[in-house]
Amino acid sequence: MDPQLTEVSQQLERFKAAFVRKDYNTCSDFLSRLKVLLTKFTSLPPLFENTPNAAHELTLARDIYEHAVVLSIKTEDQDAFERDFFQLKPYYVDARNRLPPSPQENLILGLNLLRLLVQNRIAEFHTELELLSSATLDNPCIKHAVELEQSFMEGAYNRVLSARQTAPDATYVYFMDLLAKTIRDEIAGCSEKAYDYVSISDARQMLLFSSDQELLTYVNEEHPEWEVKEGFVVFQKAKETAPCKEIPSLQLINQTLSYARELERIV
Amino acid sequence: MAAVMVSSAGGLLAMLNEPQPSLKHHALTHLNNLVDRFWPEISTSVPIIESLYEDEEFDLHQRQLAALLVSKVFYYLGELNDSLSYALGAGPQFDVSEDTDYVHTLLAKAIDEYASLRSKAVESNDMVDIDPRLEAIVERMLEKCITDGKYQQAMGIAIECRRLDKLEEAITKSDNVQGTLSYCINVSHSFVNRREYRHEVLTLLVKVYQQLPSPDYLSICQCLMFLDEPQGVASILEKLLRSESKDDALLALQIAFDLVENEHQAFLLSVRDRLPAPKTRPVETVQAIEITDAPNENPSGDVQMADGAPAPAPAPAPTPTIVHETDPVDATYAERLTKIKGILSGETSIQLTLQFLYSHNKSDLLILKTIKQSVEMRNSVCHSATIYANAIMHAGTTVDTFLRENLDWLSRATNWAKFSATAGLGVIHRGHLQQGRSLMAPYLPQGGAGGGGSPYSEGGALYALGLIHANHGEGIKQFLRDSLRSTNVEVIQHGACLGLGLSALGTADEEIYDDVKSVLYTDSAVAGEAAGISMGLLLVGTATEKASEMLAYAHETQHEKIIRGLALGIALTVYGREEGADTLIEQMTRDQDPIIRYGGMYALALAYSGTANNKAIRQLLHFAVSDVSDDVRRTAVLALGFVLYSDPEQTPRIVSLLSESYNPHVRYGAALAVGISCAGTGLSEAISLLEPLTSDVVDFVRQGALIAMAMVMVQISEASDSRVGTFRRQLEKIILDKHEDTMSKMGAILASGILDAGGRNVTIRLLSKTKHDKVTAVIGLAVFSQFWYWYPLIYFISLAFSPTAFIGLNYDLKVPKFEFMSHAKPSLFEYPKPTTVPTANTAAKLPTAVLSTSVKAKARAKKDAEQKANAEKASVSESGSGKGKEATEKEGDSMQVDSTATVEKKAAEPEAAFEILVNPARVVPAQEKYIKLLEDSRYVPVKLAPSGFVLLKDLREHEPEVLSLTDAPTSTASPATGAAAATQGTTASAMAVDDEPQPPQAFEYAT
Repeated sequence: MDPQLTEVSQQLERFKAAFVRKDYNTCSDFLSRLKVLLTKFTSLPPLFENTPNAAHELTLARDIYEHAVVLSIKTEDQDAFERDFFQLKPYYVDARNRLPPSPQENLILGLNLLRLLVQNRIAEFHTELELLSSATLDNPCIKHAVELEQSFMEGAYNRVLSARQTAPDATYVYFMDLLAKTIRDEIAGCSEKAYDYVSISDARQMLLFSSDQELLTYVNEEHPEWEVKEGFVVFQKAKETAPCKEIPSLQLINQTLSYARELERIV
Repeated sequence: MAAVMVSSAGGLLAMLNEPQPSLKHHALTHLNNLVDRFWPEISTSVPIIESLYEDEEFDLHQRQLAALLVSKVFYYLGELNDSLSYALGAGPQFDVSEDTDYVHTLLAKAIDEYASLRSKAVESNDMVDIDPRLEAIVERMLEKCITDGKYQQAMGIAIECRRLDKLEEAITKSDNVQGTLSYCINVSHSFVNRREYRHEVLTLLVKVYQQLPSPDYLSICQCLMFLDEPQGVASILEKLLRSESKDDALLALQIAFDLVENEHQAFLLSVRDRLPAPKTRPVETVQAIEITDAPNENPSGDVQMADGAPAPAPAPAPTPTIVHETDPVDATYAERLTKIKGILSGETSIQLTLQFLYSHNKSDLLILKTIKQSVEMRNSVCHSATIYANAIMHAGTTVDTFLRENLDWLSRATNWAKFSATAGLGVIHRGHLQQGRSLMAPYLPQGGAGGGGSPYSEGGALYALGLIHANHGEGIKQFLRDSLRSTNVEVIQHGACLGLGLSALGTADEEIYDDVKSVLYTDSAVAGEAAGISMGLLLVGTATEKASEMLAYAHETQHEKIIRGLALGIALTVYGREEGADTLIEQMTRDQDPIIRYGGMYALALAYSGTANNKAIRQLLHFAVSDVSDDVRRTAVLALGFVLYSDPEQTPRIVSLLSESYNPHVRYGAALAVGISCAGTGLSEAISLLEPLTSDVVDFVRQGALIAMAMVMVQISEASDSRVGTFRRQLEKIILDKHEDTMSKMGAILASGILDAGGRNVTIRLLSKTKHDKVTAVIGLAVFSQFWYWYPLIYFISLAFSPTAFIGLNYDLKVPKFEFMSHAKPSLFEYPKPTTVPTANTAAKLPTAVLSTSVKAKARAKKDAEQKANAEKASVSESGSGKGKEATEKEGDSMQVDSTATVEKKAAEPEAAFEILVNPARVVPAQEKYIKLLEDSRYVPVKLAPSGFVLLKDLREHEPEVLSLTDAPTSTASPATGAAAATQGTTASAMAVDDEPQPPQAFEYAT
C-alpha cells in the first residue's frame, strides 16, 4: 500500500478518535494536516486521475471532508462549514460513478440546505434543491429542510419552531436554534413595516420571547432605532419616503437640441 | 481515461479561504488550469484572489500565480486593461509563447499599450514612465519572433514601439536581409504616420544598407531622397561613376532615372550641384548652374540633343586640348558625369518621354471632329472645352494637327478663350524644352509691352511656356520674369505669374517671389489670383513664414479672386508637411471667411496627401457635413481624394454615403474625390459609385462625375471592363444631344479629352513606382480641381500625366531594339479601336440638318400659305432624308462589319495569350505584372522593372546596335532609325521642323 495513503488513513483514525472524545481542538489540527496531505493525491478532484488507489483515496478524502463538515457544526463555525461543504461536493456530484454512495450524503446535504435557510439565502437554497434527484427529495433529512422552507415562506413560523423537535439528526439542532433567530428577524422586519407602534406585551408575543427582559435586550442589540417608551415599542418612521427623483430636465433639453442639430447635418 | 471533469470550481474556491498557505497554493494552481471553463464562477471570488496577490506574506511564486489567475478572469470579462496590469504582475508566470487566445490577446494589448506609451513619450518630449515589466514582455515577444524567424512581425512590432535598436537587430539577424529591408521600407511608407519618426526609421535603414557587403544602391538612394540628403546620394553616385565597371555606371544612371521619376525638383538640383563638375567641360557646367539667358542655353541644349554620335561627342569643340591632357579613366568619368547631370536635370527623361509620346501617339482625331461639329457655334463654353479636350488629348505629343486644320474655327475664341487656346499649345508641347520658346514665339509679347498681339494670346503664351517647362524651368525663368516686369496688362501678368509658378515649382526662389508679390500688391483681381497661386507653386512644401504674410494680405484685400488664389497658394506651401502644418490649418479652418476655410481644406488635403491619416480624414468629414458654406463642403469632400490616394480602394467606401447627399455640392465633391484618388486604376467600386452620378439631376454634378469617371478610366480598355465602352458611348450621346445642359456637355467634352489623354499613352499617377508622392502630379491635380472657378486652370491636369511606357536605354542613353513579352491577351491592354462610329454619326447628323431645312421650308411654305403642298413637300423631303439616313446607316454597318471582321481576324491570333513588345513600348499599369523578359535576349535590365526608364546591360557589346527610337520629332536626318518611329505623325513633325529656323531670329530680336 502506498505509504502516503497509509499515513492518511492513520491520521484519519486518530482524528476520529479525537472526534469521539470531543476534543475538537486536536481535531482541527489533524484536519488541516489531513487536508494538506490530500493535495498530494492526484486522483482527487479536480484532476481525477486514474491511479491504482483512486477509489480508495476518493473514499478516504470524502470521509475526511464529511467529518470536517460535521466538525464545523460542532465548533459552530459556519464559514468552515461552507468551505468544507464545497470541497466535499465534487465527491458527491462528480465522483458519483466512481464511488459507492456515502451513507452520510443526505444528512450533509440536508444540513447544507438548512444552513442556507438560516442564512436566509433562499435563492441558493432552491438552486441546491433543483440539483437533487426526486428520490433524494423523499429522504427524511432533505424532506425536513424542504418542509421548513415551505413553512418559513408561508409565514407559519410556529410550525418552524415546533419542527425543532422532529429534527432527524442531533447535528440539526444547532441550525434549528439559529433558525429561530432568523425567524425573529423576519417578524421584526415585517412589524416594522406594518405598525407604527406596538405594546410591549404584544411585541413579546409576536417576537416569540418568553420575557420582556429578553425583548428589551433584543431591541437594544439588534434594533437600536426602535424606541421603547410608555409601554410601547415605537418603530421609527424615519423611513420617510424619499422625495421623487428629480427629472434631469436640463440634460434632456440639451440632448434633444443636439439630436436636432445632428438631424440637420445629416448628409 | 474517463474524462470526468469537475462540474464546478466551488470546491477549489472554497479552498482559497483555508488558513493553510499550501492549500491555497494547491487551489490556485488548479484554478489556473480550470479558469477557461469556470471563469464565471471564479469571477465572483476575484476580490479574494486579488487579496492573495497583494498579501505580502505570501511567497512570490504564489502571488504571481494569483495575479495570473485574476488576469485571466478579467480577460474573460473583457476588462483588458485590468487583465494586462495583473498579467504584468504575474511576471514570468505569463508565458508569451503559449498558444492561447488569452496570451495572444494580451500580447497584442501589451504591445499596443507599449507602443502608445512610447510614441507619447517621444511626441511630448518628456519622460513617460513605462512599466519595466511591460517593456520586458514586449522584449520577450520580440526576441521570440526573431528566434522563430518571424522577422516581419518583429520588425512591425519594433517600428510600432519605436524600438529602432530592435528593428536593427531584426533586420540584421534575418536570413534575407535585402528582402526584409525592402519590406521595411514599404512598411515605413505605408504605416509610419509621423513624418519625423519615418525619417528616423529611414536613417536607420540607410545605415543598415550601408553595412551590407553588397549594398542595394537603388534603395539607399530612394531612402536618402526621402530624407532629403542630397550629399549622400551624390557621393554614392560619384563612387559608382568612378568605378571601373560599366555595370556600376549603368546602375548610377538607373538611380538617377529613378530619382527623377519622383519629381522632387529641388532635391534633384542639389544632387546635381553637389556632383563635381566634369573637368573636361567647364563651359557646360557653368551653364548648368547659372543659366543666365536664353541664347547661351540653346547651344548647350543642342549639344545634348545631338547625341547621334556616342558619348565623347559633346565635348569636342570647346576644349579638345583638355581632353587630351586627362587620362582615359578621367575621360570616361567625365563623360558619365555629363550624362548623369543630364538625367538629373530631367532633360533626358523628358526628351525620351516626348519621343515616346510622339512616336506612339494614337489619339483619335475623329472624336475631336465629332465634338467640334456637334458643338454649337455660339456656345463659347463648349467651344473652349473642345480646345481644352484637344490639348489634353495631345498632351506632350507635340501633335497640333487638329488646331492647324481648324484655324478658322479656332479664331472664334476671343478674350479668355483665346488665352486658353494659346495656353493649350503649351500642354501639347509639354516637355518640348528646346523648341518650346520658338514654338510659342509668334504669340509671345514682342519687345516688351508694345507688341501688336492681343494681350490674351500673349498671356496665354506665357502660361504655355510655364506648362512646357513645368518643374524644369531653369531656362525659361528669366524670360518669364522679364515679361512679367515689363507689362502692366493684367491678362499678361496673369499668364506670366502662372508660367513662373509652374516653371519654378518648389524652388522657393526669392527673387521670383518678390516679383510675383509686387504683382499681388497691385491689387488687381485677375493678376492677383494668379499671383497667389504662383506664390504657392513657388513655395510648394516649404512651409515658410511667408504663408502668414500671404494670409495677412488675404484678409486685407477686397477681391474674392485674390483671396481664393492666396488661399490655394497657402495650402500649396504646406504640401506634405503633415503635423507641421497643423497650426496653419487650424488658423485657416477657423477663419470667418469661407474662402479662407476653403483654402484650409486644400491645406489639409495637401499637408496630408497620400497619408490616409485618420485625423485628417475625420476633420475633413466633419467639415463636409457641418460647414455653412457649400464651397467649403464641396472642397472638404474633394480633399478626401487627396488624403486617400495612396489607398484607392478605401475612397469609394468612405465617400459612398456622401455621394448620396442631398447637397449637390457634396455629391460633386464625392465624385471628384473618387476621380482623384482612384485615377487610372479602373477600380470597379469607383466606377459603380460614379455611374449613378453621371446621370444626376444637377448639371454640375454630372459634369464632375463625367470628368472623374474619365480620370478613373484612363487607359482601361474595354476588354478589361465593359463599362468603359458604355461610358464612351454615353459621352458621345451627351455631346450630340442638343438638349443637354452646357455644364454637363462641357464635362463630357473634357472627359473625352482626359479619357484619351496624351495620345492614349499616359495615365494619371500620383505615386511613383517606389511609392513616393509625385509632387508635381499632386500639385497639378490640386490646382486642376480649381477649374470650377477658372477654366484655364484645367491645363494643370497635364502635370499629373505620366507616360505608361517601358523605355529601355543602353549605356549611351539610346533606345536599342529590344523585345520583351507581355504575358496576357493583347486585347486586354490594346489601344481603343479608332472610332468608326463617329463617321456614321456625322453622316447621321446630316439628315438632321436636312430636317432643319425642312423646317425652314415649312416656314417659307407658311408665307406662301400653301399648306397642303408644303406638307407633301415636307413629307417628301423627310422621306428622302430618311432614305439618306438608311443609306448612311448601311454604310456605317458595312464599315462596322468590316471592322469587326478585322477584329475577328486579329482575335484568332491573340489566343496565343501573349504578345511581343518592342522597346520602347506602351505598358499600362495593369499590364505591368504580365511583363516578362525573353530569355535569350541580348540585353539584361539593371533593375527588374516593368515600366519606366530601365537601363539595359548589353551582353554582346561588339555587335552593332539597332536603335529603335530616334531623335524625332526634332531631327529630320535619321534615316537609319528603327521601324517604330511613327509614320503617322510625319506631317506634324514636318511642321515642327518648319518652325525650327525661327528661334535664332527671335532671340536676336529680343536681345
